[in-house]
Amino acid sequence: MIPDAVALQTTGAIARLLINGLQAGAIYILLAVGLSIILGTLKFVNFAHGALYIIGAYLGLIIAQDPSFGGKLAEWGFGDIGLGFGYLAALVVVPLVVFVIGVLMERFVARPFYDRPDTDQILLTYGIALILTELFRVLFGGASRSIDQPPWARGSATGVPVLGDALTALGINAVSTWRIVIILLTAVLVGIVFVLIEYTDFGLTVRAGTVDAEMVELLGVKLSRPYLVVFGIGAALAGVAGLVGGPLVNFNPDYGATILVPAFLTVVVGGVGSIRGAVIAGLSFGLIQAGLVQFGFSEWAQVGIYAVAAVVLLVRPQGLLGQEVAA
Amino acid sequence: MAVVTGPATGRGGGGGDYPSLGNFPIEGDAAVFGFNVPTTGPYSSEGEDELRAYELAAKHLNEGGGWVDSQFDDLSGDGVLDYQIDYVEGDTATDPSQATNSANQMVDRDGVIMFSGGSSSATAIAQQQVAQDSKVLYMCCLTHSNETTGVECRRYGFREMFNAYTTGQALAPVVAEEYGEDNSFYQLYADYSWGQTQQESMNQFLTEIAGWEQVDSVPTPLGTDDYSSFLSEAANSGADVLILNHYGLDGATSLQQAVDAGLKDSMTLLVPLYNRPMAEAAGDAISGVFGTAAWDSQIDNEASNQFTEVFQEEYDRIPSGPAQLAYAQTLQYAAAVERAGTFYPPEVIRQLEDYEYDNIGMGAETMRACDHQAIRDVPVVRGLPGEEQEQGSYFEIVNVTSRDDLWYGCDEGPAAECELGPYGDE
Amino acid sequence: MSDETRRADDTGTVDETGTGLAGGDLLTRWRSVKERESFVILGTVVAVLLFPYLFARAPVVSEILQGYQSLAELMLIWGIFVIGFDLLHGYTGLLSFGHAAFWGGGAYAAGVFAIHVSGSPIAMILVGTTFAVLLAWVLGFLSLRRGGIYFAILTLAFAQMLFYVALQPLSNLTGGDNGLGIGGSTIEPLLGFIPLDAGVPVITMFVDTWMYMLIGIAMVVTVAFAYRVLNSPYGMVFRAIRENEQRAEFVGLNVWRYKLMSFVLSGAIAGLAGSLFAIQQARVPVESLFWTTSGEVVIMSVIGGVGSLFGGPIGAALYLYISNIVQGMSEVVLFTQIDKLFPGAQAVVLPEWASPAPYWHLILGLLFVLVVVFIPRGGIWGGLQSIGSRIGSRFGGDR
Repeated sequence: MIPDAVALQTTGAIARLLINGLQAGAIYILLAVGLSIILGTLKFVNFAHGALYIIGAYLGLIIAQDPSFGGKLAEWGFGDIGLGFGYLAALVVVPLVVFVIGVLMERFVARPFYDRPDTDQILLTYGIALILTELFRVLFGGASRSIDQPPWARGSATGVPVLGDALTALGINAVSTWRIVIILLTAVLVGIVFVLIEYTDFGLTVRAGTVDAEMVELLGVKLSRPYLVVFGIGAALAGVAGLVGGPLVNFNPDYGATILVPAFLTVVVGGVGSIRGAVIAGLSFGLIQAGLVQFGFSEWAQVGIYAVAAVVLLVRPQGLLGQEVAA
Repeated sequence: MAVVTGPATGRGGGGGDYPSLGNFPIEGDAAVFGFNVPTTGPYSSEGEDELRAYELAAKHLNEGGGWVDSQFDDLSGDGVLDYQIDYVEGDTATDPSQATNSANQMVDRDGVIMFSGGSSSATAIAQQQVAQDSKVLYMCCLTHSNETTGVECRRYGFREMFNAYTTGQALAPVVAEEYGEDNSFYQLYADYSWGQTQQESMNQFLTEIAGWEQVDSVPTPLGTDDYSSFLSEAANSGADVLILNHYGLDGATSLQQAVDAGLKDSMTLLVPLYNRPMAEAAGDAISGVFGTAAWDSQIDNEASNQFTEVFQEEYDRIPSGPAQLAYAQTLQYAAAVERAGTFYPPEVIRQLEDYEYDNIGMGAETMRACDHQAIRDVPVVRGLPGEEQEQGSYFEIVNVTSRDDLWYGCDEGPAAECELGPYGDE
Repeated sequence: MSDETRRADDTGTVDETGTGLAGGDLLTRWRSVKERESFVILGTVVAVLLFPYLFARAPVVSEILQGYQSLAELMLIWGIFVIGFDLLHGYTGLLSFGHAAFWGGGAYAAGVFAIHVSGSPIAMILVGTTFAVLLAWVLGFLSLRRGGIYFAILTLAFAQMLFYVALQPLSNLTGGDNGLGIGGSTIEPLLGFIPLDAGVPVITMFVDTWMYMLIGIAMVVTVAFAYRVLNSPYGMVFRAIRENEQRAEFVGLNVWRYKLMSFVLSGAIAGLAGSLFAIQQARVPVESLFWTTSGEVVIMSVIGGVGSLFGGPIGAALYLYISNIVQGMSEVVLFTQIDKLFPGAQAVVLPEWASPAPYWHLILGLLFVLVVVFIPRGGIWGGLQSIGSRIGSRFGGDR
């Protein structure tokens, strides 16, 4: 084999690993960043975060398409409640609606529980997640659904001008355009949140509140409003995750619980409250899974992320970029 | 203990000649069947269709109609052995523990004389165990795993559905004819017993019958919902054909992702086993993709057409494959009771064993005694394009592979590992 | 048996120096503990004996409840599991979301042992419980590095890891997705000569089979053991940790060691319950390691009443009742047996839309949230007790 071919093969393998790792990590990151800022700022643990993903996915489906649902909605004659406004409309509306849901959750669910023990928060949000899952099941039926990819991002990315050529040159011949969209969208959204938290006055207040809420309040800065916004942003990210994940992975009402566990793991490994940490942990999980598959250890791909998480937490209980001392 | 209380009677094969065993003799005037299907969870659409068929079977057993009048000479259409048929329903939620609990409830509280149902092999195997331990017959419904009539086979369970092994046997000649003999294939399989046996059988028969060559076969962990890494390795392998050995909703996901990644343009895709929830979820992605299915309303013969007709009349919808299995297995049990002249389980089992029949629209069949597996034909189907699909109709029948070209001996393949266990009257 | 009522004397004994306590006091105290202990155990025995009769066989009552024997068995098994869970959550204040590891681990160990070595039920229980103890030691060592929500997430993650390990890499041993089929015939008779499905002489009417006897005995032993532990200095320290970990530390207690001890004891009881589950079902579904199983025990414990010995089994019974019996109530008939009381009266059949069957998950979820919001510590048991004491104080005046 001539050296050039070897080189091309190696770059191809690395490029594939990166793309696969990025796309596998993207959804974890969207969920984890939201969870992490809520947990870090409000010290509130939200087991209903997966349910927000499901809300985003179903809402997106209703806004973008004309689905016909089973369940009680159909029995009551509202089986066809789709609006059919298209995917872009959903991309605008879903984050706004889920943001509002998040704000309502902070006000009416989280706030009354700030003074209760941590474990009560877990119990409450776990219960809310159960109820939401069941409400979705009763209303929409238990069948799995997916959102159609919008026409502008359908099919294989190798057919897209410029991008396709670049991918082919790298030796990547099987990646859907939608995955590239997910990667880009995740990068943009997480970037916006990062700037918001790190470089604005609002972010300064929030970060100060994270370190010492009491002191900030003593200085005359009210934290209740920033808290509302942070919860809203975290929720909106989960909603968007549902919307962009919907065309990729089929979802049903139970799916929220399925993705919650790896999302939590991402937060804890990354370090609570750290956006950078969540991104790094999410990417590592994606790369580990993709790497185990690519190098022929696929049966360990699922166990792998748990094992790595266990090791990281043994060495650094506060997570990779976590600040606080072990509680 | 039973729901229906009344004086125990010895008529119609009641207690008279046989000792009591399991829920025999039946108390009261009605024999109770248990229908244990998923009515919540992702497989609920399949379970609900099975339930419709079960209810239809019970109705026909009591009042006549459908196959009871035309196909099953043993049945009278006025109950079974002077007993009216009553039934209870349960929800397995496609969860083996829940299925076991629900089956126990039927056996223990409702006093069922037979129960049936299931939409996954794990739930079917769990229920078959309850059947053997409590000496109440279980007629499997949809379970495709080799183990159900292989290492996990039980004296008190009978399966009409074919298995993973025969899916490979049935598909190989059809795809060889369609795509030529000179192909290489790459497999992805769900890494549990069903997926493992499924890929083994695809490898064996595509190599032996079609003369194809396997490039690689890669396990995907259970619980995987993003197959992109696997698919990009497959695309990179240079194989002509990609076989996705994933069941049900996982199958819908992997197939859809393969189509989205553009693999359908560069490779030929195969899905060994179709079912309705999968076809519903995958939509247009199944267009042109070969696979096998339990049964389909397009299979054109008297029994099949008749079932489709009565089902449509009753429910105004086209029956699914599992519905046909549910209907058939309920009537098979009832007919065996009539032949035995008693509900006494060991006698009913002996009537079912090695019984030969040709009355459920799948050609001539034998319910083999050595592993309780129906030796029967297997329908090979091809997915319809999205715009041609409608409620209940997702594939076209390509071929019904004859049982003469399929199956294995009692001392071969999965059957070699089968030990049925006792009848209960030894 | 809520510990709330005993809070007053607890605080006294946490102080292990015992300087202020005269010998006579100790003796009286010990005697009263002993008395209460025999009362608790006797109560448990009576409840365990009467329960399956009332639930599955008694006229009228069992018809209305629609209960049956194997569900009664299952309720007791889960009841044991919840007692184990509550030892950690209710008494030590550590919320684990990974108790499926011990339940499923115990069940698998018992099942694998039955298939490959011996199907003696006693041996299966010993093996299952021992395995759970070892597992709890390791997982406790790892998870207890963090408290509060992190502890919950860590236990969740470790249990999930075990689930995936059982599902795939170890599927040759565990049966993978199909579950581990033990088979009723593999499980040997009790002590070698009493088949588990044989009726118990004399009291058949009450308990039916030896299977139930075995489970019932395990329940009584668990209650006695848990009661002993909770009223020993260990139990006092557990509660002290729950109330204020820092203070317990300052007093000079090795908090970490006590937490690990509590975790191991809790895991042992969960493993015992898991082994019984394997025996009763003659099968171990792989879902017994899945995190939803951990979630179920959390729900049962909270609904029944956190930090109370009898709240747990009540929560387990209620949960299983809803998930098994309400789940199948496609037609609700009220006053089924009314004609026995008032001849000629008709039972009322509710219309189909009023059937609770499709909503059983929702009912559980709502019940759970209501308890968390309004009676987070007492649960249903606590609620019953406070109603009882209110009635008591109204009629009996000042007690």
